[in-house]
Amino acid sequence: MDKTDVWQGTLALMVLKTLETMGPLHGYGLARRIEQTSGNQLTVLYGTLYPILLKLEQEGHILGKWGQSDNNRKAKYYSLTRSGRKHLASETKRWEQRTAIMGRFLSPSEEA
Amino acid sequence: MSTIRALLSRLAGVFNQAAKDRELQEEIDSNLQLHIEDCLRSGMTPEEARRHALVKLGGLVSVRESCRDRRSIPWLESGIRDLRHSLRMLRRSPGFTLIALLLLALGIGANTAIFTLLDRLMLRPLPVKDPDQLVMIWTTGPHLGSNQGSRSSSYPMYQDFEEGAEAFSYVFCRHFTPLSVSWEGQAERVMGELVSGNYFSALGLGAAVGRVFSSEEDDRVYKGHPAVVLSHQYWVARFAADPAVVGKEILVNSYPMVVVGVSAAGFTGVDPARSPQIRVPIQMKPLMTPGSDNLGNRRNQWIQIFARLKPGFTRESALGSLEALLSQTLEREITEPALRDIPRSLRERFLARKVRMESAASGYSHLQGTSQRTMFATLMAMVGLVLLIACFNVASLLIARAAARQKEVAVRLAIGASRGQLTRQLLIESMVLSLTGAGLGLVLSAGLLWALLGFLPTNGMLLTVSPLPDWRIFAFTVGLALLTGLIFGLAPAWQSVRVDLSSALKSEGAITGGAGSARLRRGLVTAQVAFSFLLLAGAGLFVKTLRNLEQTDPGFHDIEHLVTFQIDPARNGYSKPRVKNFCSLLQDNIKSLPYVKSVGYAWIPVLTGREADWDMVIEGRARSERDDTQVWINCVSPDYWETMGLGLIDGRDFDRRDYGDHFRVAIVNRECARDFFGNRNPVGLHIGFDTDPGATPDIEIVGVVENALNEGPREGVRRQVFLPFSQSSFPYAASFYVRTSAPPGPMYSALRGKVRELDNALPVYEMKTLRSQLAETLGAERLTATLSTAFGGLATLIAAVGLYGVLALVITRRTREIGLRIALGARRTTILSMVLTDAFGMLGLGLGFGVPCAYLLTRYVSTLLFGVTPIDAWTAAIAAAILAAATILAGVLPARRAGAIDPMQALRHD
Repeated sequence: MDKTDVWQGTLALMVLKTLETMGPLHGYGLARRIEQTSGNQLTVLYGTLYPILLKLEQEGHILGKWGQSDNNRKAKYYSLTRSGRKHLASETKRWEQRTAIMGRFLSPSEEA
Repeated sequence: MSTIRALLSRLAGVFNQAAKDRELQEEIDSNLQLHIEDCLRSGMTPEEARRHALVKLGGLVSVRESCRDRRSIPWLESGIRDLRHSLRMLRRSPGFTLIALLLLALGIGANTAIFTLLDRLMLRPLPVKDPDQLVMIWTTGPHLGSNQGSRSSSYPMYQDFEEGAEAFSYVFCRHFTPLSVSWEGQAERVMGELVSGNYFSALGLGAAVGRVFSSEEDDRVYKGHPAVVLSHQYWVARFAADPAVVGKEILVNSYPMVVVGVSAAGFTGVDPARSPQIRVPIQMKPLMTPGSDNLGNRRNQWIQIFARLKPGFTRESALGSLEALLSQTLEREITEPALRDIPRSLRERFLARKVRMESAASGYSHLQGTSQRTMFATLMAMVGLVLLIACFNVASLLIARAAARQKEVAVRLAIGASRGQLTRQLLIESMVLSLTGAGLGLVLSAGLLWALLGFLPTNGMLLTVSPLPDWRIFAFTVGLALLTGLIFGLAPAWQSVRVDLSSALKSEGAITGGAGSARLRRGLVTAQVAFSFLLLAGAGLFVKTLRNLEQTDPGFHDIEHLVTFQIDPARNGYSKPRVKNFCSLLQDNIKSLPYVKSVGYAWIPVLTGREADWDMVIEGRARSERDDTQVWINCVSPDYWETMGLGLIDGRDFDRRDYGDHFRVAIVNRECARDFFGNRNPVGLHIGFDTDPGATPDIEIVGVVENALNEGPREGVRRQVFLPFSQSSFPYAASFYVRTSAPPGPMYSALRGKVRELDNALPVYEMKTLRSQLAETLGAERLTATLSTAFGGLATLIAAVGLYGVLALVITRRTREIGLRIALGARRTTILSMVLTDAFGMLGLGLGFGVPCAYLLTRYVSTLLFGVTPIDAWTAAIAAAILAAATILAGVLPARRAGAIDPMQALRHD
């Protein structure tokens, strides 16, 4: 399968989920982690990540803070806030509903 | 929630873009380094690592851009940039900015001031529950009795409406009357309001402390409710907001009454102009107006009726139900003894009386009569025109500026600004000007209002109109400013972005604008002249009206040396005989003062707009003989005529013999004698009044006196009948008149002293000369005349400046041509007349529009005029002459400059 670009809404959800499982991460780390999680089927130009991080931060779902990386480099780390957790839960539910509906449309009907 | 949060953070982002940009750059850099280190670790060369990292990052510029847009609100940000640019441009030409701001501040400030007056007096809804449901009810047509105040009804009429009208959830009534309040030994005169028991429930208002009136507790027993509700303001001012005053006893007109509560803060009453200090149940009327008990009298109109419509009823449907009620009431009234014998035609007119209803959402005051409304509407229109003239002038200035800025605009267009962006920026500049002007205007208007309020007639009460702006006034001013900015900004902005790029960029030096902009400016000046003419012509009519009113012969002699003051002994507990004795004694005591020539007193003060009118019956004549038997009444003392300077034509003056409880003698004025008795001498004939039903005409006419004004010059000379104060059955208040031979000013304290000698606790009020009384009565007329003159003058000044600007511009543009003409031998006077001809051309065109407009519009103010017709050739001629003089003044300077052009220089000048 070709490496697929990710569209923005989905990317935001991936960011939130990744932060939930991994804890605080910087932008580059987030991009790498998302690629890994997708089994390298996705490619994330992490430039596209910044506007999304900014939006999530403005909405209060994540919080950015400057800190030190493992190899002693200054980097901005993002962590999930409480409202971010709630938002993630509700967005996950919506995503599941949507895929379930699409699934019913696209899979061959069993009753037929 | 999170959307709002994001919006707020973006709004904040508008202001710290640079810092945020830097932070983003740091974040990107640090992430890039992290990536490069990873790549190095996986074995790439530094070069490869760096390239790989940059590729994975994506386009750096577009990342920055989209972050920047995301971080703030792009349109707001560019708006702020335009704003900054505008401020810079305005600062750079302080002369223009100052003049424009001055014009706008004057125009907008004057508009705000007049609007504030209009809004506070008649537009703003009352601060009560559902004001839209409130209506005022009154009747028109012959009332065949006495009437006090505008839109008044009798109390029994109110009761009929209250009981019978199904369209209303409440019908309530009120009446203003001065009262004397005494608390801890200190007496003072306050304004009181007598109200029906349901007054507060009808308005949906509660008490701040204690309770307010209710129908059950305060409107059942005649004279049986000695209760007082204080207004919040009075409670704070007089009782220091002490809640303990509730339950205490105070003396009202020397009668003990209990303070039951304080009405809600902020509520002043249904009269937006004047508010009472205390309220008393209407059943207490006989005690509040000693000597006058008219609660049960159908022939006395004195209360104002208001009502609250039931949901589901409109004013039209409610009016229908009232009409049926009124005709029942009238049918009943006509059978009463007083009306039994009236002439048939009068009877028909009486039965055809109409009930009228109007929304009272904004309440009703004495300043809401038809003529006052016309006055305010006229002033608003005039002040609007002044602002329009100011607008046109600023527009004209902007066009000149646009011409000077053509190069800047051309450069900005050339380097890629769109015309839309430029227009927006120029409009923002206009808005900055108009909003700043409005801010200054708001300050100006508060000052102007202080002055204006002093002009308004108060009818003996303090006006309670605040000159301070609130959010309504603020919104009006801002709205007006935006509209103004658009009016004067749009055309110049549109003009200036229409530049021809190549020619504008090529040309050198100052540019004076194209032919199009000159034509536009000429049009604007012509309009200014036309509007100025309208304002001047209007001002002329109002000034002439005021002069006519002031110069009307009052009949009274030398009113500068006639001092008047009022006392109200009955309200301080005096019995009827004591009032009469007191007044008579006071008259004698004042007469003993030095410089006092004579003293008299009357029941109703003259030239104050107040009046009492009754229907007269004449001995030996059938009532059906004539329709109109209305005469104007006053009760006067002996020596009143001598004091007022009116001669007796026939018969005798009242004297000490005329004493008692019933009127036995009368003096009529010349007009009354002429109208009722023609050539016959009325002395010795007997008359009577309809207010005494069934009484035989037993009042003997003992004298005829010269004519004089009664309410004021506008009402003119009335048919008057004078009765002796000493025979009155209602001698409650008296207006004294003192003729002095010395300047009146120093007399005042001596007169007060004489009253104090007799009774230290009796308040003396309204002390002034009759001349200043007349001036006060003409307050509204003086306000109109003064303001319209000021508006006219201001408009003319602005228009002259505009004219000057255009002429100067034309000269600058035609310098070469004029130089050539002079070189070819044209005389300087020819040049001079050329410029003046141009100026007079614009004047003529302006008048060409202005005169017909004035002709069409002045008729709408005819009700405000006195002794002058709306179309007055002289007034128009003077207005035109003033404008011509202004034109010459505006034209002379540029004309002289044109004449002084040196042909050598002009021809070299490119």
